[in-house]
Amino acid sequence: MSAKNNLGEFEEIVMLTIGVLGENAYGLAIKVEIETRLNRTVSMGALHTGLYRLEEKGYLKSKLGEATKVRGGKPKRFFEVTAKGQKVLKSAMEDRQKLWKEIPEGVFKLFPSNL
Amino acid sequence: MMKTPPKFFLWLLDVCCPASRSDLKGDFLELYEYRAKEVGRFHANLNFLKDILSVVPLKFIVREEFKSGNSMALATVNFKIASRNLLKNKGFTSLNIIGLALGLATCMLIVFYVIDELGYDRYHAKSDRIFRVNTELNYGGAITSFAITAPPVANALVTTFPEAEKSVRLVQNINTRFAKGSEVIQEDRVFLSDSTLFDVFTLPMIHGNPASALTAPNSMVITESMARKYFNRVDVVGETMLEANDSSLHTITGVIEDIPRQSHFVADFFLSMHVHRGANDVNFNKFTFNTYVLLKARADERALQKKFPDFLKSHLSNSMNVELFEKNGNYIRINLIALKDIHLHSNRQGELGINGSAGYIYIFAIIATLILALACINFMNLSTARSAHRAREVGIRKVMGSLRKQLVMQFLSESMLVTFLSAVTAMLMAWILLPYFNEIAGKNLHVTMENAAGLVGAVIIIAFIVGILSGFYPAFFLSGFQPIHVLKGKLATGFKGGRLRNFLVIFQFSMSTFLIIGTLVIYNQLEYIRNKDLGFDRQQVLIIKNASALGNPLILKEEVQQLPGVMHTSLSGYLPTGGARWKNNISVGHERALLCEFWLADADYIPTMGMTLVKGRNFSEDIASDSLAIIINETTAKVLGYTTDLFEKSIRASNVDYHVIGVIKDFNFNSLRDNITPLVFVLGDDWRASLAVRMEGQQATIVLEQVKRTWAKLAPGHQMDYSFMDKDFDALYNTEQRMQKLFVIFTALAIIIACLGLFGLSAYAAEQRNREISIRKVLGASITNLVAMLSMDFIKLVITSILIGVPLAWLMMQSWLQSFAYRDALPWWSFFVAAGGTILIALLTISFQSFKAALINPAENLKGE
Repeated sequence: MSAKNNLGEFEEIVMLTIGVLGENAYGLAIKVEIETRLNRTVSMGALHTGLYRLEEKGYLKSKLGEATKVRGGKPKRFFEVTAKGQKVLKSAMEDRQKLWKEIPEGVFKLFPSNL
Repeated sequence: MMKTPPKFFLWLLDVCCPASRSDLKGDFLELYEYRAKEVGRFHANLNFLKDILSVVPLKFIVREEFKSGNSMALATVNFKIASRNLLKNKGFTSLNIIGLALGLATCMLIVFYVIDELGYDRYHAKSDRIFRVNTELNYGGAITSFAITAPPVANALVTTFPEAEKSVRLVQNINTRFAKGSEVIQEDRVFLSDSTLFDVFTLPMIHGNPASALTAPNSMVITESMARKYFNRVDVVGETMLEANDSSLHTITGVIEDIPRQSHFVADFFLSMHVHRGANDVNFNKFTFNTYVLLKARADERALQKKFPDFLKSHLSNSMNVELFEKNGNYIRINLIALKDIHLHSNRQGELGINGSAGYIYIFAIIATLILALACINFMNLSTARSAHRAREVGIRKVMGSLRKQLVMQFLSESMLVTFLSAVTAMLMAWILLPYFNEIAGKNLHVTMENAAGLVGAVIIIAFIVGILSGFYPAFFLSGFQPIHVLKGKLATGFKGGRLRNFLVIFQFSMSTFLIIGTLVIYNQLEYIRNKDLGFDRQQVLIIKNASALGNPLILKEEVQQLPGVMHTSLSGYLPTGGARWKNNISVGHERALLCEFWLADADYIPTMGMTLVKGRNFSEDIASDSLAIIINETTAKVLGYTTDLFEKSIRASNVDYHVIGVIKDFNFNSLRDNITPLVFVLGDDWRASLAVRMEGQQATIVLEQVKRTWAKLAPGHQMDYSFMDKDFDALYNTEQRMQKLFVIFTALAIIIACLGLFGLSAYAAEQRNREISIRKVLGASITNLVAMLSMDFIKLVITSILIGVPLAWLMMQSWLQSFAYRDALPWWSFFVAAGGTILIALLTISFQSFKAALINPAENLKGE
């Protein structure tokens, strides 16, 4: 296996949220979605830095939308998960599922039977 | 309705967001509007600021395109790389910063001093038109330059010449004592002035009318601080003050602002000129007052001065035969000096205050430049020394396509960063060292609102220039490497290639050698002065300067004489260490007059001063004819050609015939810079007399207490103004002692800076040759061999420096010593000490690094082969 960059927790969340939002996945929308769905605060700096880094790594693709009258004439930048990004997400999810399956029954008192 | 953030926020947004992410700005705007609607303006604003803060790092992360208009990005990238480079080498960086900061701080302090000195007397509105009248007197071959003129000159100038608009005379009133309640306080800054004072000088008056303040006979004007001191308030017009010496009452007619420190005279009190007995004297050849004239605008003072000789001659002719006077080679002349030049260029008899000197300014300026040069040289040295390390980096960058221009910018910004940090450190250093500097320079400099801006601005400019200058050489030198040479390892990394660097090291160390020798020579000369036999004994002598405050000082003398531990007492105004001076002409027969010191003393003078008679005897109270006796010093005897029959001769002075009773051994009066000139003593009273008390060995403190008690008994309410003769003597050499302190400090500074430089250089020399060292070690070289090998290059440089510094020092110090009539020869040992010291210091510096390098395990260095 080639040395794969392991995905950070926040980065994973961001990419998944982009998947959830589909067409309308732009900066602010992503932030609001994460905050409402997962009940955690996301700072603008953290979010946009993350988005930029993910794009640099090749996991995201972005394009500027049309400039409209709202938002002081500034366009929205829409993000999309690339094939590479999807592969990484899938592999991360598989890693987790693998581990969950291996945990013997009753070890996690909270859920005696595995999911 | 669109809710937009305030204008300031929008500007902030533009600054903090990367240019390529306009969507980020859009997100901010949208978020703001949403929050403003839901939660209100206040929360919207608050959270906006918080978010802006979190976004700032993005600016550094997002890689902008290198468009020419994108200078901000370029700058930040440079800054990042520069700071990373500097942090990687904390040792080298801090060495550089400290060295440069030292140089900058010294420069700052000196610039502060120089600017202050140059700014004296500028505060007068009409300062360009104010001139002081000087007098030059040539009498009997002795030329004296006076800052004072005859009483009628001021008025005569105004009435005779239309160019002269107004004039005013000033003179210091010594020994003034004012009553404050039951106390009597001595005030030393009391001046007498004509009523035209405020027409000429700008002394803002808080209370009172400047036009009439000093017209009435007993009027006086005081400063704000004095008003508070005596009356606890400032509006004291109409109050009276009692002058204790003659019990005269003076009415305050005006209160002025305190006179600025940067004045050639600083007064607390102005009394009306009417107090002076000689104010209305019409004699033109008696010199009493400091006279100032205000010329009309655009008046030509040079043309005016050309008219002075005739003017003076016509007035002098009223009281003397001017032709005969001038035929004998004498003259009296007057000239003008601009007000602004007085402080730095005037050092005559009768100055109103202690003036500075232009000479000092030059010396300081030269020293400042030298130290700064040393520091900059260091910086350049250390930067280029690192070239070997950076060579590979430069090579690779060039291969990757960096333009030379970009590389130069890179290195320049590194040097600017270091310079900036040094500037900040320097400002801190200067701030902390200011009090000590004040003490040494004899000034009272403070950072005020006005000069703070100028100073900080000056530092920034100097730092900027230094940064560019010091950065240029390494920048161009480093970026000039050919990539192929570097990568192939062919670059000459030895120290032999650094010719400029060697020159710089030599310069630094020759300066250090020079300064060490200078310090030692000054020290030697001062010791010589301290220990030389001066012809009188200045130890254990108490001088009471204001003995004349008593109505009859003789009573004080007799009472003090009775005290145990007192050996001799003498009343005289003329002391070898200072005090009154009077020159008079003496003649023998019809021979030409000889101008000599003419001192009035009493019969106890010679024993009190510890002087020695080589021929004849001292004055005696019991011999009546001694009132016409005269004692001459050896030089006088020589000049007059007296050998054997001097007791037959009579000497004429001031139309009185004296007969010689003794010859006194030559003694140094004034400073050892001057030769001993002819001097004679006659018995006489001087109202300015001081009481000199010779005390027995260990009793000084006890005797002093008793003298104080006697004084208090005889002169209640008067402060006893006293000093000790040996302290007075030391005070004569204040300038030299200050010079000595300065030299010591600058020597230390120069050595520190030179060593810092050498320290860094030797570190890198060692580092470069680390492989060579390890191989030699493996092959069996001893530590000593290695240290010697590493040091040899530098020692050669240091020896060259010594060979340069020593002759230079010899020349300079020889000429300095010439200014002393009495001097010790140039101490030959100082050259050896300086040479040895310099080599020792250099060796210590180098060997520290060499040892460190020689002790490294060879395996460490050769691992990478």
